[in-house]
Amino acid sequence: MLRVRGLRKVYDSHGRRVEAIGELTFDADAGSFVCVVGPSGCGKTTLLRCIAGLLPPTAGEVHVAGARVTGPPAGLAVVFQEYGRSLFPWLRVRENVELPLRAAGMARDARRRLVAEALDAVGLADTDSAYPWQLSGGMQQRVAIARAIAYQPRVLLMDEPFAAVDAQTRADLEDLIRAVWRRLGVTLLFVTHDIDEAVYLGQRVIMLSAAPTRVAEDLDVDLPDERDQLTTRGDPRFTELRSRVYAQIQKAKGAG
Amino acid sequence: MTVALRRLALVVTLPAALLAVWWFASMNSTDFYRPPLSRILVAFRETWIGPRFVDDVLPSMARLAIGYAGALVLGVALGTAIGLSRPLRAALEPVLEFLRAVPPPVLVPILILIAGIGSTMKVLVIVSGCLWPILLNTVEGVRGVDGVLADTCRSYRIRGAGRLWHLVLRSASPQIVTGARQALSIGIILMVISEMFAASSGLGFTIVQFQRGFAIPEMWSGVLLLGLLGVLLSLAFRGVEHRVLGWYHGLRAAARER
Repeated sequence: MLRVRGLRKVYDSHGRRVEAIGELTFDADAGSFVCVVGPSGCGKTTLLRCIAGLLPPTAGEVHVAGARVTGPPAGLAVVFQEYGRSLFPWLRVRENVELPLRAAGMARDARRRLVAEALDAVGLADTDSAYPWQLSGGMQQRVAIARAIAYQPRVLLMDEPFAAVDAQTRADLEDLIRAVWRRLGVTLLFVTHDIDEAVYLGQRVIMLSAAPTRVAEDLDVDLPDERDQLTTRGDPRFTELRSRVYAQIQKAKGAG
Repeated sequence: MTVALRRLALVVTLPAALLAVWWFASMNSTDFYRPPLSRILVAFRETWIGPRFVDDVLPSMARLAIGYAGALVLGVALGTAIGLSRPLRAALEPVLEFLRAVPPPVLVPILILIAGIGSTMKVLVIVSGCLWPILLNTVEGVRGVDGVLADTCRSYRIRGAGRLWHLVLRSASPQIVTGARQALSIGIILMVISEMFAASSGLGFTIVQFQRGFAIPEMWSGVLLLGLLGVLLSLAFRGVEHRVLGWYHGLRAAARER
């Protein structure tokens, strides 16, 4: 579903060359949940922007659902870290979720149904007429997730979506995302700097090296599909995987 | 006392006090140029409530409305185009700075040569003054579109007219409103000034006529009417702003609380 081949990104500005991504190659199968972790500054966001078609790579290719990405592809949604800045403050919650559907020319009844379902799925069915800035940070991010769900993407990219919310809300949102992913069967690429989060959420964890970024290790998370905050995090296998990712990230930092 | 009543009292107190001071200070005035307020109010009723309202006040207001609306459309359209295009901005900036620096009343003699002495000239004077604050504020507003929001629009493939309206113009709306507010007071001034040259009707024309004919209380009443019109227009503007920018004031209040 998602294919990244020899991706390379060099920023060239004011005579200073910064090699953000050295050479990245990986795949994500349809319906899989892949987490990407790496030390800070390793170009995670750059990678995500290249996949989303928001940033042209210097070399290499990205394919989404078999088509080469040259601009934002259809059937791909992004949830940004800065929820406060990615929602339209002049639109109500319902209108925010509905806008991409309207832009796609969907009929009104179909739009309404999808919006209601999506808001229901994130537990915001009663808040549809509020403005985003009337909500807490966690709820705003739920709105952004609802917008992505209603869009019915085949590929969903998430860029450290829970980095700016408190720990309790974060745990809730993690479980929400697992539930949404299982229900929709969407291919999910989840970028984070949080090792626990990556292992808890993903079927696979791709660890990146420090810049110039390469894939340091690609790890299958062989935890059961039913996960919950208490038992999964208490599972000895979880601790093992977590330590392995941690060691790899430390190594990557040292090398960088 | 409720909050609304207290606010109303606060708003009304100073104007009432000023009127009272004017009333009593001018009560026994025999100065020809400074008649008692009571006489001015009588003149107000006799002068403006009647055919003059239709012959002079309404044409003035119509020219103001047309000129202001024209400046609004032109300013937002040009400002959006300039704000979205870097080359256009680089090419136009020096010219815009020059044009903006020319005081609009100076244009009146030139516009008389081009457009004659009719309503067209007066509307053009109003447009030429109101345009700049709207245009320049729109450019700034359009340039200030949030990067994350722009990325959101791109990735959801919100393009063309949808993008222009939902992203660009709505983002710029607080600044556009600021420009429009400045333009409104400039427009009232230019409405009066444009009627002081080669005119045969209008508020500015009538006030000058009264002054030349030594109809002093009537002249004062015209000034009073202009002030009242200004207050009414600014109230109407606040009403519109409340509707258009309700989200913005809420957002700012929410940001302050956090």
